[in-house]
Amino acid sequence: MTSEADQLARMRSWLWTQLVGQALPLEECSAFLVAVGEICNNVIKHAYAGQGGRPISIALSAFPDRLIVDVEDEGAPYDPRGYRPPDLDTVPESGMGLFLVRRSVDEVAFDTARPQGTRWTLVKYRAKPAVPPTA
Amino acid sequence: MIDIDVKEMGTVTVVAPRGDVDMAVADDVRRRLTDLVDRGQPRLVLDLGLVMYIDSSGLGALVAAMKHARAAGGDIKVCALESDVRSLFEMTRLNKVLAVHATRQEAVAAWG
Repeated sequence: MTSEADQLARMRSWLWTQLVGQALPLEECSAFLVAVGEICNNVIKHAYAGQGGRPISIALSAFPDRLIVDVEDEGAPYDPRGYRPPDLDTVPESGMGLFLVRRSVDEVAFDTARPQGTRWTLVKYRAKPAVPPTA
Repeated sequence: MIDIDVKEMGTVTVVAPRGDVDMAVADDVRRRLTDLVDRGQPRLVLDLGLVMYIDSSGLGALVAAMKHARAAGGDIKVCALESDVRSLFEMTRLNKVLAVHATRQEAVAAWG
């Protein structure tokens, strides 16, 4: 996708199809959608400072025990020193994006050691199949 | 642009967006809500029954509109949350700040 907010719906539609195709429970698909959507929001707002037409690539990798979504941009690298968890008691109007990402997936990592931009890696583990009790 | 249905029910105004409330439309939603408040309609019900997805921008728009409505002596009561939207309300504790009702009728009735 490119860095316009009106591209987000198309991205979600694509990602939803991919996730459902991996037999992930719908609730988990929704959580992944939230996390990837918030990362894309941040890329549009901060990495590209609202500039449209810049690339955001999204890739899903499926493994037996987990799903991984990588989101890459070529904008200003993410600076974790700027992150402050939101104080929910103050009912904030902004700053909740990364908080929602962290609450929606099992692992969040970012890589800025690259020529430009940031690669975000979001991991969600598949639920282990229930083991029937042994006699 | 997002399709937003607005209906007056007595002294209460019911606002029902139709579609995802994400970064692309969050400002539209906030503006529609705050415009109603500015036109003397601060007693609002926000029916989210046709919203399957909301992001932090959308939640921020609701918070901004809620603060605007409260400053004008009104408030926003929300209703008909779909499960994914409800999860985000709970995660951000917005369900503790905004009155959440199961149906539009309940939310309108709660205004008294």
